[in-house]
Amino acid sequence: MCTRIKATLAVAAGSLFLAMSGLSPALAQAAAAAPYQVSDGNKVDPHTLSGWRTWRALACERCHGAAQEGMVGPSLVNSLKVLSKDQFKDTVLKGRIDKGMPNFDGSKMVVDNIDNLYAYLKGRSDGAIQPGRLQEIGK
Amino acid sequence: MSFQSRLTCLAGCMTACLALVAGAAFAADSDTAKLTKDPKNWAMQAGDLNNHRYSELKQITSKNAKNLTVAWTFSTGVLRGHEGGPLVIGDTMYLHSPFPNKVFAIALEDQSIRWKYEPKQDPTVIPVMCCDTVNRGLAYANGKIFLQQADTTLVALDAKTGNELWKVKVGDPKLGETTTNTPHIFKDKILTGISGGEFGVRGRITAHDINTGKVLWKAYSTGPDNELIVDPNKTMTWTDGKMAPIGANSSLKTWQGDQWKLGGGTTWGWYSYDPELNTVYYGTGNPSTWNPRQRPGDNKWSMTIFARDLDTGMAKWVYQMTPHDEWDYDGVNEMILADIKVKGKPRKALVHFDRNGFAYTMDRVSGELLVAEKYDPVVNWATHIDMKSGRPQVVAKYSTDKNGPDVNTKGVCPSALGTKDQQPASYSRKTGLFYVPTNHVCMDYEPFQIEYTAGQPYVGSTLSMYAAPNSHGGMGNFIAWDAGTGKMVWSKPERFSVWSGALSTAGDVVFYGTLEGYLKAVDLNGKELWKFKTPSGIIGNVTTWEYKGKQYVGVLSGIGGWAGIGLAAGLTKGNEGLGAVGGYKDLAKYTELGGVLTVFALPDR
Repeated sequence: MCTRIKATLAVAAGSLFLAMSGLSPALAQAAAAAPYQVSDGNKVDPHTLSGWRTWRALACERCHGAAQEGMVGPSLVNSLKVLSKDQFKDTVLKGRIDKGMPNFDGSKMVVDNIDNLYAYLKGRSDGAIQPGRLQEIGK
Repeated sequence: MSFQSRLTCLAGCMTACLALVAGAAFAADSDTAKLTKDPKNWAMQAGDLNNHRYSELKQITSKNAKNLTVAWTFSTGVLRGHEGGPLVIGDTMYLHSPFPNKVFAIALEDQSIRWKYEPKQDPTVIPVMCCDTVNRGLAYANGKIFLQQADTTLVALDAKTGNELWKVKVGDPKLGETTTNTPHIFKDKILTGISGGEFGVRGRITAHDINTGKVLWKAYSTGPDNELIVDPNKTMTWTDGKMAPIGANSSLKTWQGDQWKLGGGTTWGWYSYDPELNTVYYGTGNPSTWNPRQRPGDNKWSMTIFARDLDTGMAKWVYQMTPHDEWDYDGVNEMILADIKVKGKPRKALVHFDRNGFAYTMDRVSGELLVAEKYDPVVNWATHIDMKSGRPQVVAKYSTDKNGPDVNTKGVCPSALGTKDQQPASYSRKTGLFYVPTNHVCMDYEPFQIEYTAGQPYVGSTLSMYAAPNSHGGMGNFIAWDAGTGKMVWSKPERFSVWSGALSTAGDVVFYGTLEGYLKAVDLNGKELWKFKTPSGIIGNVTTWEYKGKQYVGVLSGIGGWAGIGLAAGLTKGNEGLGAVGGYKDLAKYTELGGVLTVFALPDR
């Protein structure tokens, strides 16, 4: 229950942001269907948890920072407010080689978990999920 | 043995001897060592074969250093981390940049560019180096400039024209193999290493012919004896208070299955060479992965000092500093060769300031362990090095293996950056002391299970780093060290890690750079004499040379490398994961990206 409320709140905040910044309705719609469930900021559904594990295993923090706020690579907290899900998948799987972003289509873990990774980072970007270690809801 | 077979043997020996003579006559020694003997030059990255980073020049002294002023500057046109430094031979400076690894030949007379070289490299190498596109500088021998490109290409250029003479590839970036080290010229050979300890690379060094690039020998850090180039009966190691042979399969039996194939032990540090002993010294890096539970055993010979015969590559002795690493304490830091008194007795010593926080003094002839002491009092992962076994006595609560995966081991000192990383120390032949740039940073370390995929990161641990607690609040110190006794002489606190190679001179001045971007001159007591704010944070190494009767001091500035990255990781503090008190945000108050060589001299009278 608690989960739902939190996620809804986050989504509401996200929609407000999108509305205010005048982004496309398609993006707003994507945000409306939050791809993650979260409780207390650090308990998530199994898919989102797999997304976080993928983030960790591929050492994404080396470029994007432990809190996704950016270092050598851009802030994903910001990027996930702008990128559509398809654009996100494209960027991760094909890379942006000239900018230093590798193509992760060679990693089975990333390919299998691309939706989960999106869910996790979207939750981070929405401010619904805290940075750092996560656990599964109800465990 | 029959008469016949003796004859055959004799004939065989004669052929071999003739071949040897012919080989010796063919492979002439390089002029590099000779060039380093003239203090007007800075002909190797460390100034000499011994990794001293010391200059006999004494126009700039502890009395007049306060008058130092900028003579000229040069922008490389590249941002991100600038490690290493320029070479100076006669009237020409040779300068490198990080990726794309530009090379400039600069006329000292008017600072005009004689030639410029920029290799074409596949940009896919950048993310594999993530986030560290550094290069530690060029090498020179016999009218050739040598560049070890990021994509593992070793290239020889004509020092007069910049034309390519030969190229050879020493690794495969698709497997996560890259290169950041300087090539090392020893006698008639050029030696180079490999980076990629976070990608499951199998470390090795290769010796090449200076004239052709041909591989003469290749010695791995892990694996079967023949690929290690060791003799189980003659390669020695410190065992039970004395030197003893390493025995058969010394590496294989310390790994589970064929994990040694992804074993790490990379070789991107600063090597040294003793011509009298014909021995080359270097260290190997961390075992892969950073999750220690996944690779039981001592993981030999990662984290090891190697002493090898230069001609054959045969290992004379080895010493593993951190068996079964649990903290990423790479053993690649510089090996400094110094003839000093150790506990009152003159020794041909090797001094090594390891990432693990202990400073080791070894007998470089025999490989005996003489001294091993903490060079930062906050080091806590081990109580001491047991001098009989040579092994660190690990403190259980800081053992990330004992605590296991998905457990956050907190408050480990030093952090994975080490009490010192690659930033090389200086040995003053005048004072007999070592001047050492250090980190004063601790960490939380949480390993986790990870699968290997070729070319993908193979790290397996989440880290957060922060200034050593209950200390001066800064993240670095610049120290003077007595390697004969294993005692600190003085320590000068710094706000950030000191990630710049030091220089000491016969003028009783010691130089180093800071991450805020200051080049500093201190006297032999560590008293600050002068400082100057360069355009960006300094992770380059300070060098000095003389041209037309004037002594110059130069340093690259350009923040980046793991210093920048490591500090950025400091964004999280403790387990909150949100604390914005980390060092990186502080650093942003002082500096930005850059890529400039700044050259200083005393003003004309």
